[in-house]
Amino acid sequence: MKLSNAIGLLPFAAALTAWAILPLYVDYPSYMLPPLPDVWTHLLEALADGTLAGHVANSLGRLALGFAVGTGIAIPLGIAIALNRHVADTLKPLLTFLQSIAGIAWVPLAIIWFGIGIGSVVFVIANTIFFATLYNTVIGVQAIPQALHRAVRSLGGKGLSLASVLILPGALVQLIVGFRTAMAYGWRALVAAEMIAGTNGLGYMTIEAVQWYRTETVLLGMIAIGLIWLVMDRLIFEPIERVTVRRWGIVQR
Amino acid sequence: MNSPKVRIAARDLRLEYRDEARGEHHLAVEKLSLDVRENEFLCVVGPSGCGKSTLISAIAGFLKPVAGELTLDGKRIEGPGADRGVVFQEYALLPWMTVLDNVALGPKLKGVPKTERHERARHYLAMANLSDAALKFPHELSGGMKQRTAVARTLANEPQVMLMDEPFAAIDAQTRMTLQEELLRIWSKSRITVLFVTHSVEEACFLGDRVAILTPGPGRVKEIVDVPIARDRRNWATLGADPEFARIRDYVLASVRGVDGKAA
Repeated sequence: MKLSNAIGLLPFAAALTAWAILPLYVDYPSYMLPPLPDVWTHLLEALADGTLAGHVANSLGRLALGFAVGTGIAIPLGIAIALNRHVADTLKPLLTFLQSIAGIAWVPLAIIWFGIGIGSVVFVIANTIFFATLYNTVIGVQAIPQALHRAVRSLGGKGLSLASVLILPGALVQLIVGFRTAMAYGWRALVAAEMIAGTNGLGYMTIEAVQWYRTETVLLGMIAIGLIWLVMDRLIFEPIERVTVRRWGIVQR
Repeated sequence: MNSPKVRIAARDLRLEYRDEARGEHHLAVEKLSLDVRENEFLCVVGPSGCGKSTLISAIAGFLKPVAGELTLDGKRIEGPGADRGVVFQEYALLPWMTVLDNVALGPKLKGVPKTERHERARHYLAMANLSDAALKFPHELSGGMKQRTAVARTLANEPQVMLMDEPFAAIDAQTRMTLQEELLRIWSKSRITVLFVTHSVEEACFLGDRVAILTPGPGRVKEIVDVPIARDRRNWATLGADPEFARIRDYVLASVRGVDGKAA
């Protein structure tokens, strides 16, 4: 492990230490913040009986489905908006109006349309990822320098060949950076939606535990939510950026 | 003697460009007439704002003339096309493609199969002394290498005319001199028609068979000067101290600056 990675672990270690020694100095009921060993024991139980894995798998499956639906609609629509003034003029006011209604604000209507369960949750995630991706697609296409357009057109590119050689890869530059944000928003919306309209998943797991004052489950859920995102970011989005935009010299860090 | 064949003909051209930020139209070129002859290297010089880049845009087909006629081989220019290759000041290489794929882009757009277009790209890369850079990405190249890649890409598409819009303006002085010599060496192997726009009088006289001088905006052709210096003497070691080159350069410079006593 590189030193820069190891340093990133320090704040986590500090937080865990504080959590572990806090009961020695402060007197508080353990249901408010259960001792670290209790949460650890609970983690081992939840791993052993497969409940945690089940919730995680459900949540990740929904995120993937919501991502597919959201980006599948947002990318073609974003390209159309960026390239065609009439499409842009027609749709922009509506999209701005809808954008102000945050993904989570759709939950009540989603419950009425799709009922409690996977349908509502996926709808809310897809909705959230759709807006983040749409915005990035429009920006990405519009940010393609005019000189590149001209170069490809004077090399003989037009219509579909122009789209495949220039527009899609050009938009991808912004999209790859944007996917990270879109997925982060989607992941947050997912947890919230599961709390209200879910029947399983990490969000449901944490909110359900509140009824029984199982604070260790709540904490376990929150840690899992953060940890899964950290792993996804490191194992999926960082490598994708490394072999694309950073290799092309567009993003330097 | 037969008069040489004309490839590009501009007659009483009027060009305007739109200032997007202000939403205004500006007159760039008015009553401009110019012939670009087959297989010649024609340079266009003029002060900034004389509309020389706008002229390239119109010939490339990015901009429609407001008035006048603009033709390639007698046919009116209607839009961009692979018959007119363009080299831009900002290189305009696709950052997500390797040098090889950038150079093979024109043939790719024409549907040439992969092995064949890569073979052709490698041929032009070798011509531009870039064989070792074939698998690099553009951001790994120096400015000079980027522009040589752009020239190779244009030539690999085998256009009838190469339009060059201040291609060396963003490159440092020493590299620029090398690139000018390189360009002539590469051009001597293909000998296609070139229209080269620059604000540097020295560059124009070094490269061109003829140099067209534009008046300050709105631009018209003030005069066209022949550069009767043999192609085998076109290197800086020879011309740097050549009295004939100096005479032509000083003449063109005076004309561009408007201190030659002639009406603009």
